[in-house]
Amino acid sequence: MKPQPFLRTFVFPAALCALGFLAAMATVLQYSLRAYVPGSLEAGELTLDNFSALLKPLYARVFLDTVWICFLTAVCTLIVAYPIAYALVRAQNRLIKAAILIIAVTPLFLGEVVRTYSWIVVFGNNGFINSALLKLGVIDHPLQIMFTSFAVITALVHVTLPVMVIMLAAALAHIDPTYERAAQSLGAGPIRTFVSVTLPLSAPGIIAGVTTAFAWTFSAFATPQLIGGGQVNMISNLVYQLGLASFNFPFAAALSVAGLALTFAILSLLRFAARPLEKFGPH
Amino acid sequence: MSRPGAENRSNEPTGATAAGSDQAAVRLLRASKRFGKVVALDDAMLSIRRGELMTLLGPSGCGKTTLLNLVAGFLVVDAGEIEIDGKCVNEIPTYKREIGMMFQNYALFPHMSIADNVGYGLRMRGIPKPDLKRRVAEALSLVRLIGVEDRRPFQLSGGQQQRVALARALVVSPKVLLLDEPFSALDRNLRASMQMEIKEIQRQLGVTTIFVTHDQSEALSLSDRIAVMFEGRIRQVGSPDEIYRRPADRFVASFVGDVNVLRGRLHRTDNQAIVALGAARISVPTEPLARVRSGDRVDLFVRPEQMRFANSGEPIALEGTVAAHIYQGGYVNLYLEAPEVCTSRLLIRSLEPDAINRWPTGTRVGVTIAGADVMAFEPEPAIQSV
Amino acid sequence: MARSTFQRMLGIAGAFAVLAILGFVILPAAVVTLAAFNDKAILAFPPQTWSWRWFAKAIAYDDFRSGFGNGVIVAGWASSIALLVGTTFAFALDRYAFPLKRTIETVLLSSLVVPHFTIGLGFLILAAQIGWARGFIVVIACHVVLVLPFVLRSVYVSLRNLDQRLELAAASLGASPGRVLVTVTLPLLAPGLVGGWLLAAILSFNEFTASLFVTAQRTQTLPVAMYNYVREYADPSMAALSVMYILATATLLTLANAYLGLGKLLNVETRR
Repeated sequence: MKPQPFLRTFVFPAALCALGFLAAMATVLQYSLRAYVPGSLEAGELTLDNFSALLKPLYARVFLDTVWICFLTAVCTLIVAYPIAYALVRAQNRLIKAAILIIAVTPLFLGEVVRTYSWIVVFGNNGFINSALLKLGVIDHPLQIMFTSFAVITALVHVTLPVMVIMLAAALAHIDPTYERAAQSLGAGPIRTFVSVTLPLSAPGIIAGVTTAFAWTFSAFATPQLIGGGQVNMISNLVYQLGLASFNFPFAAALSVAGLALTFAILSLLRFAARPLEKFGPH
Repeated sequence: MSRPGAENRSNEPTGATAAGSDQAAVRLLRASKRFGKVVALDDAMLSIRRGELMTLLGPSGCGKTTLLNLVAGFLVVDAGEIEIDGKCVNEIPTYKREIGMMFQNYALFPHMSIADNVGYGLRMRGIPKPDLKRRVAEALSLVRLIGVEDRRPFQLSGGQQQRVALARALVVSPKVLLLDEPFSALDRNLRASMQMEIKEIQRQLGVTTIFVTHDQSEALSLSDRIAVMFEGRIRQVGSPDEIYRRPADRFVASFVGDVNVLRGRLHRTDNQAIVALGAARISVPTEPLARVRSGDRVDLFVRPEQMRFANSGEPIALEGTVAAHIYQGGYVNLYLEAPEVCTSRLLIRSLEPDAINRWPTGTRVGVTIAGADVMAFEPEPAIQSV
Repeated sequence: MARSTFQRMLGIAGAFAVLAILGFVILPAAVVTLAAFNDKAILAFPPQTWSWRWFAKAIAYDDFRSGFGNGVIVAGWASSIALLVGTTFAFALDRYAFPLKRTIETVLLSSLVVPHFTIGLGFLILAAQIGWARGFIVVIACHVVLVLPFVLRSVYVSLRNLDQRLELAAASLGASPGRVLVTVTLPLLAPGLVGGWLLAAILSFNEFTASLFVTAQRTQTLPVAMYNYVREYADPSMAALSVMYILATATLLTLANAYLGLGKLLNVETRR
């Protein structure tokens, strides 16, 4: 056996963190199975009431809405991010590359609150869109954009874009440019080259991007909270209302657990459905 | 397989397909290309005949790959014109030039089966399915690869992948076949057999071919004609024999084949040039020596096979000391030191297996020049040492 | 390559599309910047009169100031701890074999896929159960778990790119494993470490959802403070703060790109 100096020192802290994380998750699981004692942070005995309450149409609705929003966001982000990733990888000029990268990636590092707030300034009744349209005479009174699904999804796409660009660009960067030359030498014009060679070879990046986008969007909170304003609710908002506002920890925990299970199921489904696409990827 | 040019949309007749036909399939007319300050190709003039295998030969950086990429359309000329089948293609993008190209790393599409790879060009041209299948099968049998249609590139060996790449380029009956150092990744034995196969296929199909390599023995064995290039310029175009026996300048003489450079003195008579070396008098072509006066120093370029150990009675051109032997199996390379006539070691070959014992290191030997077609060139201007 | 008219048109259309999308990305930031300079108290657009006063107010506002300070404390501690834990574990991951190796790795990386509100809820309840007050320790612990995957990945990638023969050379010259680590490995890893730390610090400072759950009034970080402000007031102070945020982030990223090669960090460099 090769010598492994400092093994314990190196692994111990990480193991500790892992344990801490597991403890937190176990707590959530544990609370989801215990009864809610109103007015107290303690929970009662074991019960499945929290989960059966989830089956009420009100909550089922939120679950479906969340899945739908995540799905739409992932797809729209893919469509919008691909050209950026392509331009980023194919650009020759270093300055242009740097500019595209920084612009595309900056929203990621701004933080949810700044991003969401900026969108409020854009969507609000006195905001950018309405002011511009009013000035141009296109409309008479302000459009109600805030608190709509459209607004929430647009803002979510904006949030997810950097991540998708990064994953797509990484996949595109690893495609040997000679393949495109070979396709051209065989008579494929730019569109046919893209569709028959570049796109399939970037399939692994697309799958990774969509999966990540879905998982990320599921986790979104500030955006639906502030821009949805109670009209557009995702699971995260419910957990907040019930957990932090009403202190109904058990039910909030149950929601979280159900949400996790749902994400896991959908991601596994996505991965399974993407299996036939795997044959497109380079080996 | 259909003859090349049969797919072209113009009404030009396909004409004679044997090498040596007078019609030019590809022409470069004063083509130039620079990258920043570097001149990759300078005012190149080249005419490639229909059906011939033209090799672009030269060291790295000589411009051969640039030239190939210009014909393919991956680069645009800064000046001059490229013509394919008599039509200027400067403005025409790659995918409309009807070429077939084999890349150094094969570039087989990893996400497609072998059949789909080979059929790709046909699909782009809208060839209907039944025809497509048939032609793919024909192409694969032409390169002697059967039964691999459904496999993926990564499942094949290097040599097999190369055949697929060739089949893919040929199946579309291209006007020009472009080969970019296709054998550099193969080991020696595989290389030799692939060279012969490609030569046979090319002959059989009569497809105009441009072949790029830095390996001069490869060029000599495969080509109908060779264009020797150096530093962006074409130094000489000719058959392998012409290139080898009648190199146009010092570079070509030393790049192609082994050569010894000896210092001699020119004696000029009316229409003959004779170089004096030791007791030997060697007749050389006069054209390269136009500017040299009688009595001046000239450099003799002598191939190893043109030198022999002198027997008694033969005029001795030079004397040298045996410095080293390199045993090569079928022959022995002997290296001689002869500082009065040559700054570096001389190479002479002996087919006698006993050479090592017969002329051990340190032996003083006399050498005679025993071949025709020895070349002489002006000496290079003295290099100023910095 | 020689381009047909069609290709040229495609190129122009593509450039337009890219510019439009980049415009979409910048839109909120641009709008917010304009709004921040508006003199009036209502959030209006475009500004009629221009003024710096919201910037002054934002900087002076107590909650923002304490939030900033708390954020710095939390981010500093969390990313440093994460760097230590992440570096040592990445090393063990890359070089050593030990039981539960993949398990620990999976658990630590899974905080990427578990929603932040779940993690925040978990730490909140856990702290309540153990009896810890909602102080800095809980917040920092939570943040460590959140940013660890990024540090882990960054360091691991750097390790993989490290030529191990350099370490072997050092050992052949008489350096003990510890000294090899300190004199050869760590210096060579430095860019990956700095990049990882920077990434972790930025993410921790900006983290909102989990922080909302685990912070209390006195430990609230800047994003939480901003959230509470937006719920009550609608003046452009937030816009001013956002502008400062954007400038700082963009500057940091530009620096990171210039010195560390952001492209390499995010693995989007082209293969040569």
